[in-house]
Amino acid sequence: MTELRILDLGKLERELAYYRRECNDLGARLLRLQEEQSQAFRESRRSRTVAKLIREAHRLADLCATPDEIGSSMLEVIVENTLCDRAAFVRREAAQGNSDLFRVTHAIGFGSDPPAEHVTVPSAPAFFLTTARTVIETPAYELTGILRMPYVLWCYDRASGHALILGNQSESNVSRPFEAGDQELVEGALSVYIDVMLRKRAEVELRVAKATAEEASALRARFIATLSHELRTPLNAIIGFSDMMLPGSSYRLTEHQQSEYAQQINDSGRLLLELINDILDYSSLAKVAPQLLLAWAKAETLLSASARELAALAMQNEVKLEVRRGEPGLEVQVDQLRFRQVLNNLISNAVKFTGPGGTVTASARLRPDGMAELAVRDTGVGMRAEDIPRALEPFQQIDSGHSRTFPGTGLGLPIAKGLVEAHGGTLRIVSAPGEGTTVTIILPAAAARIVEPAPPPG
Amino acid sequence: MRVGYGRSPDPASAVRQAVAALALRSEKPALIMAFSGGKLDPFAVRAAIGEALGPVPVVGGSAAGAISRAGTGYSGFELGLIAFDDPDCTPRVVTSHALDRDERAAGAEIGEKVRGMVTEKSVVLLLFDSVASTQPPRLHHASAIVSGFNEAVGNAPVNLVGGGLLTDMNMTGAWVFDGEGVSKHVAVALVFPPGVEAETAILHGCRPVSAFMEITRIDRATVYELDGEPALKVIERMLGLPIGGGRGQELSLMATLGQKQGDPYAPYDEKSYVNRLILSANAEQGSITLFEPDFERGAMVQIMSRDNGLMLDSVKRGVEAINRTAIGRQNLLGLYIDCAGRASARSGSSIEEADLVVRGLDPAVPLLGFYSGVEVAPFAGEQSRPLDWTGVLTVLRRRD
Repeated sequence: MTELRILDLGKLERELAYYRRECNDLGARLLRLQEEQSQAFRESRRSRTVAKLIREAHRLADLCATPDEIGSSMLEVIVENTLCDRAAFVRREAAQGNSDLFRVTHAIGFGSDPPAEHVTVPSAPAFFLTTARTVIETPAYELTGILRMPYVLWCYDRASGHALILGNQSESNVSRPFEAGDQELVEGALSVYIDVMLRKRAEVELRVAKATAEEASALRARFIATLSHELRTPLNAIIGFSDMMLPGSSYRLTEHQQSEYAQQINDSGRLLLELINDILDYSSLAKVAPQLLLAWAKAETLLSASARELAALAMQNEVKLEVRRGEPGLEVQVDQLRFRQVLNNLISNAVKFTGPGGTVTASARLRPDGMAELAVRDTGVGMRAEDIPRALEPFQQIDSGHSRTFPGTGLGLPIAKGLVEAHGGTLRIVSAPGEGTTVTIILPAAAARIVEPAPPPG
Repeated sequence: MRVGYGRSPDPASAVRQAVAALALRSEKPALIMAFSGGKLDPFAVRAAIGEALGPVPVVGGSAAGAISRAGTGYSGFELGLIAFDDPDCTPRVVTSHALDRDERAAGAEIGEKVRGMVTEKSVVLLLFDSVASTQPPRLHHASAIVSGFNEAVGNAPVNLVGGGLLTDMNMTGAWVFDGEGVSKHVAVALVFPPGVEAETAILHGCRPVSAFMEITRIDRATVYELDGEPALKVIERMLGLPIGGGRGQELSLMATLGQKQGDPYAPYDEKSYVNRLILSANAEQGSITLFEPDFERGAMVQIMSRDNGLMLDSVKRGVEAINRTAIGRQNLLGLYIDCAGRASARSGSSIEEADLVVRGLDPAVPLLGFYSGVEVAPFAGEQSRPLDWTGVLTVLRRRD
């Protein structure tokens, strides 16, 4: 009986061992199947990143106002799908020998600890990744430094200069380490970004071009309307007064009236001529630059010559006109005839808009950045900040309330600005009502120099 | 109680969205609970909440993700807010900053304070930063905190639920809003007034895939031997692949150790298992380190596998059970404390189980959840204990 029990027990133990083994084997299979299925799902989620980016691209392009905003939105999608800790878009700024200088344009996941703005990467690779086995030397050292994360996945599009980098703190981040197979993912994401960003940039440029064209068209329409008005006014005066003076006219004019009307006709004719000359001048501004005869001239000499020319006008308006002495050797490279036209216009404007007892000062200096700065400052009526852009548009002066008080065609300032720009310079106006106006011409460093005075003979 | 959700890499923008979603009336809330994605700067989040809502105390902390009807995600940019604007339902806040010195003592410190505060059965929500350090990986063990709490609170009528806070699924870090600022190594307990009670469902998702094995050598959370063999070797044999080294962390994706409560030979019941995730593996020692140090030598355990189908079924059953208890009650808040490992990015489930909670829970119950490192809930009718790989769905309601 005991032997039987021992036999039964032995059999039961063997049976139990068998079931335990089978249980563990089946369990192991189940575990592996579960893991394989999970891994497959995680991989498919990862691989959907690019598809999602493509799907989101149109929405992002519509949502984002500027190409710059797209980068951050794209990084959000990338981080959400790849579940990486940090990511950044970088752009090549310049070459430094064998290295490239990159700027971090967009970054995500840094919290309060932002990434370095610039990074130098020697021989930036098209694709790179780091694992626990990667030796931290170039370029791993530089690339891990961008995100300050030990595990990175990088791809770089040399043609456009853009790169994308993802980073993780732990190697098997959420599911598995970065691997060579991720090249497709990261390149796909980068190319979608470049594509959408360039498309957005083109769209923005197109919008700007359209707005500029519309503005130009509106400006042209305003110009023609104003021009017609400005031509008609003196012409009407000429025709009206000459009608009255014609033999057989029903008007019986006194000698004084005849003389006055003849003067009006003459003034109107001169105004027409001045207007037509300015219009021709203004319309030919686009062709001025190639025709400029550039030569070096002393800045002070140019200012003094214009001041002398306008001294009579200043005296007539009881305005004190002075040229302030600057650096004696400052020379500018300009077309003297055209530049004189600019200075004459600025100084005559300043005199016209400055009341009796006021002062107009012309000066020139070499700025620390090597550019030449010529300024005409007055203590006149000044203007509001919002009126300054209008003052640089044709006919705006004529169109304003000043036209009755201050004669002129209203094309002087736009012509002056156009001529300065033809010289490669800029014209800037600073003004405030009642405080006067300063018009500043800035010429590029290449058109400015200081010439030391020649030593006395002997 | 009102809930709000926001999502943006810009903390101020995330806060603006979440605060707008709170749809607060003119009165400022008495307390804010916030669960903030780990990629958001906590100080910026805290400052933005202060800017939007004035000098209100904020409790909560980092979350691997947030769950709400307005959105669910774990990109690290989510923010979930709960505003307490009714004094009858606003909890008192108890904190301990002693986690780094002694987790059990920190739990006891909170337990003692809670015992002095409660007379009638009270709901207590416990939150703490799960990750003590990243290098080397070290957790604040929930089992020690909860054990200290349970001992100190004694037989005081307390219904404890809670969760461990994480910045992300990789357990890179964690931090806490402690009512005053942003802190580390802190446990915060929210003690609700007696007028608030809770109904809790624990949602599971693991099943045993091995016979029982005895833990024959263990030191705190590190299991050296199972049935006299190196524990890692046993696990590797089961998985059919070598682990160890840097890949040890991947184990937490694959398998857990489970201890069956009650009759070990009773038919399988998901509710009778306490699971422990594997934090790391040591190939040289052949050991595995668990999330918690509460298994002992001689304990009979089984290797458990995640089962995504089982997980989804468990969620459906749990949500239905909670909905049945919510009928005809003044429900205040549905709080879902969801193990980060259950998120589909980590579990590989083709369906996001949190979505089943979002879609399934009675729409009249305001809902907010967060992805956690560990969950705490009353287990098998006994005192609360920490759980791994579970979802703890708690509905707070007014006591009748």
